[in-house]
Amino acid sequence: MKRFARCLLAVFSSLGTSCILLVLLGLLTWLGTLEQTRTGLFEVQRKYFESFFLVHRFGSIPIPLPGANLVMCLLAVNLFVGGLVRIRKSWATFGIIVAHVGIAMLLASALVKYEWSEDGHVTLYEGQRADHFESYFRWEIALIRKEDDGKTREWLVPHERIEDAQRSRVRVSMTDVPFELEIESLARNCRPEWAKDAGAHGPIVVDGVRLVSRAVDARAEANIAGACVSVVDERDGIRRRALLWGAEAKPFTFFAAGKPWALSLRKERYEMPFALQLARFTKEDHPGIDMPKSFQSDVKVASAGVERDVKISMNEPLRDGGLVLYQASWGPSNARPGDRLFSTFAVVRNPADQWPLAACLVIAAGLLFHFVRKLVRYVQLEARAA
Amino acid sequence: MSTFIRQFCALIALVLVSAGLNARPQASEHRTQPWSERTLEAFGEIPIQDGGRIKPLSTYASFALLRLNGKRSAESSTGEVLDPVAWLLDVTFFPEDAALSKSFLVSDSDAIIAIGLSTDGKKKRDRWTYAELLPGMPRLFSLAHDYDAIEAKARTSIQQQVVDLASNVFSFMRLARSFDWSRGGDPSDGHALTVIAPANTTNVDQPWFAPANLVAGIGPNRSLEPADAAVVAEFETLIRLRADAGAFESTLISLRDRLVARAMARGEYEHVELERAYYAFDPIRWSLASFIAAFLGVSIMWLRPRSKLAWKSTLALTSVGALLLVTAIVLRCIIRERPPVSTLYETVLFVTASCVLVAVFIECVQRSRFAIQTAAVLGTVGLFVANGYETLDKQDTMPSLVAVLDTNFWLATHVTAITIGYSAGMLAAALASFYLLGKLIGWKRDEPETRRKLARTVYGVVCFALIFSTVGTILGGVWANDSWGRFWGWDPKENGALLIVISQIVMLHARRGGYLRDDGLCMAAAFGGTIVAFSWWGVNLLGVGLHSYGFTSGIHSALWTYYGIQWGVVGLGGVAWLRERATRKNVPVETPVLEHRRAKKMRAAA
Repeated sequence: MKRFARCLLAVFSSLGTSCILLVLLGLLTWLGTLEQTRTGLFEVQRKYFESFFLVHRFGSIPIPLPGANLVMCLLAVNLFVGGLVRIRKSWATFGIIVAHVGIAMLLASALVKYEWSEDGHVTLYEGQRADHFESYFRWEIALIRKEDDGKTREWLVPHERIEDAQRSRVRVSMTDVPFELEIESLARNCRPEWAKDAGAHGPIVVDGVRLVSRAVDARAEANIAGACVSVVDERDGIRRRALLWGAEAKPFTFFAAGKPWALSLRKERYEMPFALQLARFTKEDHPGIDMPKSFQSDVKVASAGVERDVKISMNEPLRDGGLVLYQASWGPSNARPGDRLFSTFAVVRNPADQWPLAACLVIAAGLLFHFVRKLVRYVQLEARAA
Repeated sequence: MSTFIRQFCALIALVLVSAGLNARPQASEHRTQPWSERTLEAFGEIPIQDGGRIKPLSTYASFALLRLNGKRSAESSTGEVLDPVAWLLDVTFFPEDAALSKSFLVSDSDAIIAIGLSTDGKKKRDRWTYAELLPGMPRLFSLAHDYDAIEAKARTSIQQQVVDLASNVFSFMRLARSFDWSRGGDPSDGHALTVIAPANTTNVDQPWFAPANLVAGIGPNRSLEPADAAVVAEFETLIRLRADAGAFESTLISLRDRLVARAMARGEYEHVELERAYYAFDPIRWSLASFIAAFLGVSIMWLRPRSKLAWKSTLALTSVGALLLVTAIVLRCIIRERPPVSTLYETVLFVTASCVLVAVFIECVQRSRFAIQTAAVLGTVGLFVANGYETLDKQDTMPSLVAVLDTNFWLATHVTAITIGYSAGMLAAALASFYLLGKLIGWKRDEPETRRKLARTVYGVVCFALIFSTVGTILGGVWANDSWGRFWGWDPKENGALLIVISQIVMLHARRGGYLRDDGLCMAAAFGGTIVAFSWWGVNLLGVGLHSYGFTSGIHSALWTYYGIQWGVVGLGGVAWLRERATRKNVPVETPVLEHRRAKKMRAAA
């Protein structure tokens, strides 16, 4: 057993394993790059880079391959065991060990970003204000009750639960809610149509409308989800059925237990620790041509009763409260001078935001130490030989 | 092409309604003598706002003619060879003469047949005059309109040529109508030459005016500012005196001074003179000449391997070539107020310069002669590629940059680092190819130590490459994180950079583990050249991602030629290795790891 463990350790720490895994990672990167000309980036990312196994079709021949996730996990083990623990410790390997530490930091930042980051966007017209941002492609069902004092209270059904409805009906009960929600069906990309004939098969028809599924777009953010949801009140036996569509401007409203309720399918929302108001958006072109020279949003950031003016422009994001806001887009594209403009900010909450820069410096220091040391020795050797 | 589409309707109307440039009122006036040196100089020095920046008219003329004619000269009807400034003077002041100059390159005469003209007396690839193309223009623009609706990727070569020819004819007509207003024409036709800086000196980035813009602003109740009126009057005088060479010259010099003064008042003439000097001196051409001379030195080194003179002169010529190239890069940095690399053209200059400089450094350390030979070859090939790319792209090589690139910090760090990484990868591939081909033909068969030295050099260059590729790639991610909020997005360009890093890490690990020895390392490094080429140029041709620039087919074939050559070299290296293995007993070569294990065993035994 001990021998087997030692053998396993030797395999995991060997340079041969590193080479094989790196060649596999290179192969996956290359195939994933070429595949992008056929399918979108999102699909390629899921198939090649975020998977453990995949089947690549070379013409009509299927070739099974390990996914980049698996390869990178094994590489991390290989790096840790072979490149940090078992490597000979001396001045000759000092630089290599430092570079390996830097790569481990890079992998750690990738893991943190993958597991614990949130990203989305917030779009504001000049003068508008927001205290939350929205996901690009994660959905949620929001149940909203209007209270007697005019305020509202929200209950949320998260993305994963909604996705379960693709396989079977999902029953959701919530605290302080006198009824249950039943998500009967879900379409990842759909649009509403008038139903001329309500057949026994096919999409559910509500009030003469049905949600017709469309091919899922490779650009995940372009898909508009739709769900058929029933409000099931066991006490009075009433079942209210609604079609919720992601691009619907207004929510489905109803009365239950003597109070007004609203139900809506929307992109997942995340609170920001501050309120953001767009004061002015400026787009400058190079003189005489249409090429953009700069985009800039003047915003007001308000938190804890204090308001401050901030400029957000390309390459100069706003970092505040663990969030980073980037100048991502603007519009309307056909706006004339004087028209009210909107600005879109990409918002990211990433605990490992600046780790790659630190990792880069560590790797650079390690490699420089190692190779400069070698170069100096080599030049000395050559000088002596001459 | 979108501008082209927008202006299309106006254009067709122009072509069809007009009886052509031949029917101008003053058609009888022709240029009777060549333009004087002073006239050419004065006209070339006038600043123009084009492509979002201020440049000398000589630069503008040079790229305008390159776009139309595929080279920087045109032949007039009298057989006179016109340089770009003389050609532009003809087009603007004597459009009737310019219509008879060979100004339009048609690469395939099928495009001419498609627009219904006869190709009698012309070669398949030939240059045409405006007057020759005139009868086919209604059909040319009608076809171009249809073909323009087809996605660029899906167009056939002839369709693309028709679209390009229509665009070129349109550009020519815009220039030729620059001063139509002075001959009773519509001032709204002549917007091409935006040479008049606004009188307002406070508003930065304000569009400049063409003379026609100012004329179009005159109305019954609207007159020009006195300063603007004086410029317009001087232009009118110039046009009136165009047939009188002496008077034309002195008026042009006075006008140039006036236009330069206006630009200076706005602080926009700062680098125009330097740009004039840069193109007049043309350090890149001299650098290429120096590399070609060094290349000849290399041939002599092959014929007389022991000649010290040949070695010294090759080293000197290559160093001079490198210095000239570095001068060119530095001048471009000053003119653009940018770090050395911000366009694809500049990557070629920078890669060539760094390859040659590193190789010269290696030669100075080792004096083993192979590095300097590689440097001369790479310098020559690199600058031929730069010239070829400039001719294919036909665009100003100092363009304005889009918003995301407007950051000197990231251009100086990420772009420079990754470009040095490309250089080192290419140099390693070239040295490795030298090794493999040398081995195949029996170079230094009796001096295995020299060969080992070359392989060690390849290893050293790969190490050098790894530092810059890795740092450059990660810094690219950090930049992306600052611009778009994500460190890594599996974009083709990012993947290409990652492939370079991975390939170099594999080479170093495999060498350390004893899986690759000298031959294997050189084969891997030679193959690595194609990975660098894929990342540098290949991913841009895929047409997806954030770094997709959209290119002409010429680059595609050049790239595949390079892939073919490198794969061929790797294959031949494999043949040489197999041959050696079959004929000689394989003597194991010590690697650091094997050496370490052996020492450990011996210590344990002791």
